[in-house]
Amino acid sequence: MDVKLLRIDSRLLHGQVATDWAKNTAIERILVVCDQAAGDNIRKTLLMQAAPPGIKVHVLTVSKMLRLCRDERFDHYKVLVLVETPLDAMRLIAGGLNTTSVNLGSLSFDATRKMITETIAVNEQDILALAWIRRRGIELDHRKVSSDPKRDLWKLLCDKGLVKDELDHS
Amino acid sequence: MTRKEKILAYVQAKNKAVTTKEIADDLGILRNNVSKELNVLVRAGQLSKIAGRPVKYQSLTAKTDTVIAETVSKIPDPTEPSLRSSIFDTMIGQKDSLKTQIEQAKAAILYPPHGLNVLITGPTGSGKTYFANAMHQFAINQAMVENKNFVTFNCADYAHNPQLLMSHLFGYVKGAFTGAQEDRDGLIQKADGGILFLDEVHRLPPEGQEMIFYFMDHGTYSKLGEITKVHHADVRLICATTEDPESSLLKTFVRRIPITIQMPQFEARSVREQLALLKRLLTLEANRTQKNITVTEDVVKALLGSVTFGNVGQLKSNIQLVCAQGFLNSVDQAEQINLKFEQLPQNIKDGMSRLASDRARLGKLSQLLEPVLLIQPDGAAESINESDRYELPYNLYEVIGNKAALLKEEGLEQGAINNFIMTDINVHLKSFYRDNKILRTEKNLNELVDQDTLQLTKDIMQMLKKDCGYHVGENFIYAMSLHLSSFIKRVQSGRPMREVSDDLVAMVKDYPADLKLAEKIKAMLEDHYDFIVPASEVYYLAVLLISLNSVPKHGKVGVVVAAHGNHTASSMVQVVTELLNVDNLVAVDMSLEMSPTVALNEIIAKVKQVDRGNGVLLLVDMGSLSTFSAKITEETDIKVKTIDMVTTAMVLEAARKTALIDSDLELVYHELNEFNGYSRKAEEPTQGELEDVRQRAILALCSTGKGTAEKIKQMLDEILADQLIDDVSVLTMSVVGMNDKISELNEEYRIIATTGIADPNLGVPYISLEELFQGDRGKRQLIEHLENSQTWYVESKTPAPKVDQTAAANYLEQYYTFINPKKVIGVLWQYCDLLAKERQLKLTDARRLALIMHLGGAIERVLLSAPVTLTEEQAVEFEQSDWPQVLKLADEYLEAKLNLKFPPAEAYYIAKLVDTEMVES
Repeated sequence: MDVKLLRIDSRLLHGQVATDWAKNTAIERILVVCDQAAGDNIRKTLLMQAAPPGIKVHVLTVSKMLRLCRDERFDHYKVLVLVETPLDAMRLIAGGLNTTSVNLGSLSFDATRKMITETIAVNEQDILALAWIRRRGIELDHRKVSSDPKRDLWKLLCDKGLVKDELDHS
Repeated sequence: MTRKEKILAYVQAKNKAVTTKEIADDLGILRNNVSKELNVLVRAGQLSKIAGRPVKYQSLTAKTDTVIAETVSKIPDPTEPSLRSSIFDTMIGQKDSLKTQIEQAKAAILYPPHGLNVLITGPTGSGKTYFANAMHQFAINQAMVENKNFVTFNCADYAHNPQLLMSHLFGYVKGAFTGAQEDRDGLIQKADGGILFLDEVHRLPPEGQEMIFYFMDHGTYSKLGEITKVHHADVRLICATTEDPESSLLKTFVRRIPITIQMPQFEARSVREQLALLKRLLTLEANRTQKNITVTEDVVKALLGSVTFGNVGQLKSNIQLVCAQGFLNSVDQAEQINLKFEQLPQNIKDGMSRLASDRARLGKLSQLLEPVLLIQPDGAAESINESDRYELPYNLYEVIGNKAALLKEEGLEQGAINNFIMTDINVHLKSFYRDNKILRTEKNLNELVDQDTLQLTKDIMQMLKKDCGYHVGENFIYAMSLHLSSFIKRVQSGRPMREVSDDLVAMVKDYPADLKLAEKIKAMLEDHYDFIVPASEVYYLAVLLISLNSVPKHGKVGVVVAAHGNHTASSMVQVVTELLNVDNLVAVDMSLEMSPTVALNEIIAKVKQVDRGNGVLLLVDMGSLSTFSAKITEETDIKVKTIDMVTTAMVLEAARKTALIDSDLELVYHELNEFNGYSRKAEEPTQGELEDVRQRAILALCSTGKGTAEKIKQMLDEILADQLIDDVSVLTMSVVGMNDKISELNEEYRIIATTGIADPNLGVPYISLEELFQGDRGKRQLIEHLENSQTWYVESKTPAPKVDQTAAANYLEQYYTFINPKKVIGVLWQYCDLLAKERQLKLTDARRLALIMHLGGAIERVLLSAPVTLTEEQAVEFEQSDWPQVLKLADEYLEAKLNLKFPPAEAYYIAKLVDTEMVES
């Protein structure tokens, strides 16, 4: 599958994605990969209804997504993949999803998480997953919409002292 | 002079009763102020108030005799001339199906002081807009409104943009949004003092509904961009919706509309009314063309039957279509348009058969009809309805007339002219059917099959239908054209012809008639393509014909909803019918005092009405009802299944399951019994159930398993890939020897749906070729079904105890007294094997056991000399069959081992058992 963008966004499919990213990435489908949403008919329906015109939305489980990644019938599909957490992104990449960059849109705050930018809050698990992704040489690109300037989330994490930069200084 | 004194002086100066409005106009005082002062004066005893519409006031000193009479008649007397000749009197159904509605409408308009807000509900095309117009006309005639503009607004127009919609309704002030250059009044202001008609009101967003009901309560509103509600308008609202108001509108909104008028469905109206409507609509066309129109009996039937979902509106469109066509055919004749059945378009002709399926209606109609109906222009004005969306914006007949004249001048032939203009007419009138599937069939097929083949298929169909009386099913055009197209391709590509297997020959042998037809088709093909069609192809054609013919003319499973209460059942049915647009659903409302016998009879009548030969599902609310199914089946011979505790959700589910994918009664019944509403959580597998791990598959059948089936597979594969469904295979198969192959497949695959030229009756949904190729609905249903069948639990097999000789011996011991199981079991086992071999049976454990048990009984009967007997006929039948031969070997073996011989009667029953129980697969 031709993954044009892999985006981590707690809100999954919403206006920023539908109006901005979907238009600026030349994709045909948006794949929302989220085990909970795929098992919840109401959420699924709502997500499908948020589809921008002309673009199909599918809601899938992680395991199904990985199956599709390896299925050559779907090789020519140009897709935008949305996941809820860094952990899911890691599961996809580990399972064979091919990408050079992960876009971080938003990660919502909760009791376990700490705000690091106005839209990103992380906990230990997120950091571990992000570090794992980073170690594969995959760029962590923090942008809400495509016209924002690119910000390297890894650098932000380093600046906050949340991770030690093992890559750039070695 | 104070305002009060001025008014008093004015009224006293007049020598007759005056209305508030007259005073206000003449004195230049605001009407509501006048009204206030008048009330004070009346209370003070200085003036008297005369009840009536509008209320009049007069000086106490100037009483005349008529006043007394007027004062007495507080309630409008229906015999009063102005009321008697109201607009509603010419409305069809005013004494019958619209009686209540008209009374409600009159009450709503006349209710003091200014009338009441009204909500009109009813299915699409049932005449809501027409009715609203009539109400407005009535209000004008009764002088209940000052503003004679009938302001209408279709809420669907801007439904995607709530802000724009609201600005249309309420107006806006300068600067409220970009582009708001100046203040603008909304429709509410335009309707001040009159009536505002909100069509498709369910499309009004909730905020809009809130603003409207605030306005209803207070009479004030604010424009977009204003903070205070400073504008005042006096407006009666008439709202219309096709939806169930309870679920599509805010409760607070509905509550503020005191009167709900429900327009009846076309089908619910009496035959007499339907006919009257037809005549009225034809008269409109006669007026427009200024020609007489003659209509034959059959055309009337076809037109009435052609109303499938769109009620009167659809009837109107259809009448316009056939009149336009008739007009074109008679442009040269001076005074008359003749409508004949043969000239009708196919979709209207179909109405005839649709009507014919409803005996009761057809019977009543026939009584009312004359062989030829003559409609003359009556010179009446056009319909009262100006904003009728079923009305064309221009005079179609003028267009046709002009165009025909022009083309004639150009020297075109009449035939060419007709063709040309018919295209035009279709374009103009297609709008009504825009969302519907008519004519889509062929378009879809065109993408798969070339025009030439399609035409040939149609010729073949014509030949079969006309000359041979072969029943051409719905699937025919798809199956045959696809088959031909793949056959032609094969010939053209020079690939070897298909071989004919023995199975195939054997199968066809039993159907000599179809084989003969296949020969005929072969001749047609040779004639058309000018090459020799190989004999093998005849067999395949025959198989195709057999398969298509054996597709029973299954109708849908019918659904009858029966519940206590005056509207309980019918409202559920109405909701579902409108949601899903189905026609296999009827309701029986039962008042509580209705006796069970009466109820039963009513249900039986409905069951008969809705049965299409495939059984009827009865959904009931409680009590005695649930015991009816046996009685109904007894009386009607129709299979009936009953489900208790009906809910709207269940009716919805039943309609969906029965109408959309061809399922059978048992299956629907079974599934519905497990249906608990839409919001249930995924069911956990109960203990003892295992997840079925077989791969899901869809089975595509055609006569060869190669041509059509491959095409279907291609198409389904595309759909599946598009839906990202990667775990469903599409399998292709020939109908020849289908059953054996299916059981093989079952080892590896779980077949979840079937499609193709015949329904193999596997107890899973069958999707006909028609549904599949006819656009989105069939596909959507299929996909939905795939989603739902994702996890599937089967009962875990406590591996069925293997039937070996010991087990069989144990069974024999339990049931028979005089034989020694251990001694005979080996012999019987072998006997079974011999029989199976001779007869080419596949003996499953269960079947072997059944046979052994039967044989045990037979031996015991022989030992006890208690023989069974045969009638002469049976003996002859047995002798003439191949059974004596088949049993010979096994019997010889039995005699050698046990020194015992079965008499012919026993042999006959063994043969019967094998025939009925075991031949099937």
